[in-house]
Amino acid sequence: MAARQANTEAPLSVTGLNKRYGATPVLMDLNLAVEPAAVHGLVGLNGSGKTTTLECILGMRPFDSGEIRVLGLRPNELYRSQGSVVSIFDSPSLHPQLTVRQTLEHASLLCTRAVRSPSQVEELLGIGKYSRYRIRELSLGNRRRTSIAQALLGQPGFVILDEPFNGLDAGGVDDVLALISRLNREEGTAFLLSSHQLPYLEQVCSHLSILHKGRIAVSDRVDKLFNAQSTRLLVHCDDVVRACAIVQDIPGVQIEDTSEAGLLTLKLAGANPGLINQRLVHKGIMVSELVPERASLTSLFHQITSPASNDKGAERGVA
Amino acid sequence: MNGFLAALKAELYVALRSNSARLLVVLPAFIVIARASVVKLTETGQQAREALLGGGDDVTATSNAWGHFVDSFTTGLTLMSLSLVAYAAWSFANDRDTGALRHVLIRRVSRPGLVLAKLLTVYLLALAALVLLSLGIVAITALLWDFGPVVEDGYELIGSDEIRSEVWLGLRLALIPLPTALAFGVLVSVLAQSATQAVTAALGVTLALDVFKGVLGDAARYLYASFQPSLIDQSYLQDVGRLVRGYSDVMIDPQVLSLNAWVPLPQLALFVVIALLVVRRKAL
Repeated sequence: MAARQANTEAPLSVTGLNKRYGATPVLMDLNLAVEPAAVHGLVGLNGSGKTTTLECILGMRPFDSGEIRVLGLRPNELYRSQGSVVSIFDSPSLHPQLTVRQTLEHASLLCTRAVRSPSQVEELLGIGKYSRYRIRELSLGNRRRTSIAQALLGQPGFVILDEPFNGLDAGGVDDVLALISRLNREEGTAFLLSSHQLPYLEQVCSHLSILHKGRIAVSDRVDKLFNAQSTRLLVHCDDVVRACAIVQDIPGVQIEDTSEAGLLTLKLAGANPGLINQRLVHKGIMVSELVPERASLTSLFHQITSPASNDKGAERGVA
Repeated sequence: MNGFLAALKAELYVALRSNSARLLVVLPAFIVIARASVVKLTETGQQAREALLGGGDDVTATSNAWGHFVDSFTTGLTLMSLSLVAYAAWSFANDRDTGALRHVLIRRVSRPGLVLAKLLTVYLLALAALVLLSLGIVAITALLWDFGPVVEDGYELIGSDEIRSEVWLGLRLALIPLPTALAFGVLVSVLAQSATQAVTAALGVTLALDVFKGVLGDAARYLYASFQPSLIDQSYLQDVGRLVRGYSDVMIDPQVLSLNAWVPLPQLALFVVIALLVVRRKAL
């Protein structure tokens, strides 16, 4: 399939979004932007307001104040995008009495720019053998596959997925991750993924936002978030005392632990492990092994949402 | 209306593949045919018993098909309107419960467009049910009884042409409130928080209207439900049922006839407008 021309319009821009359920504020001055051709992860604790945010973005739930633009359209005008915006919800949201094939044929009636046939998307998602099964007869994972298949009949510019990995087995998760990467790479499709599965988001996302207590606590490129995080480096060498003296002068290096024989543990804040290795070897230290322990999204997430860094975590169970 | 035709196509696609929609179309005709067959069996048994006992030679009222024809329509339309109101109430609310309408709204169809497509789908199902019901009634009554004038003691009380004309008028007047009743179902569907709540509320209110129209007196004439064939029937079709059996006390007040013709229409418009206004701000 020919790669689509890059769409320079921001897929999503949310500014100052506020939403209350009764007297309880759920979203407070929330700002979020998804760049063209980005795969943007949205993570947060249960009740942090992820689903409410997505529902406001998709025009399914009215909000109190703020501005939302999805491909330049207001949420209640999304139908004008003619299929450029599609969404897959937490629950598969399908007609239970229809078969898989009928579900896809039904979706193609609503698709103005169908680029794939129902049978093609069935094969793409590995649900061809369930073509004649009714939705109510399928497992949750296969219902989710069908739901994703619906979105792929057209050529969406922006796909919003709420918990896309729920109910999928390991193979299914790999398929969906590969599909997201492929559509993003080949067709420039932008994605907003809301998920609890941080290791999966880490594999596929270019950008990440952490939603906490109704606000975006952190939002940036994933590589920048990693770089801002300190990375640990385990240096196995023959003389830990001399090695400490050498590395302490290198900018961005902090000595964390020297208690274990032959092992020096460093905390890196932007320092290059290759440079450390070069300095040590140059000064005659025999380095037998360098093991970088990269910061993960999970550690970053825990750092932001842990009770230690907050008053008392999530306070209420908002969807 | 943005995406209305796409939504209508999509709604019809689902309805044609839905067992509940098929049942809705077939059930009134099936029940009416079954009812007519049971009535014929009962009549035949009764006539046989009376022949054996040597009495009851007045078979005029029962052997004429027109009475059964009108009764069948009254029964069929009552069943049809109740089941269609329930379906109309279920349709939008159920799609919101399952989340299926989100795909439609995000991709191509405006909220008002979707509500109107749902309403028109229910109307088309009603039309299909009505056609099947009419065919079923004509077939079963023609098969079991004979159509003809109402004759008593060799004297023709009402001619076939007059019967046909009154039956046609009764059917027309009985059908006028049906679109309003279905629009009420869709309105309840949009207002309700769940499909169960919608169906319960729509049927509950429809039956409550039945009860209230009896105690409202003349004010009931300004209620669309007063002119519908129903469990507590005050429609002209019920009067026609008596007329074609030779009762001479059947009169229709021209004012009632006029109210029957126009009262349901502004109420239909009101229900549709409220549904369209509510759906614009509703959390879906």
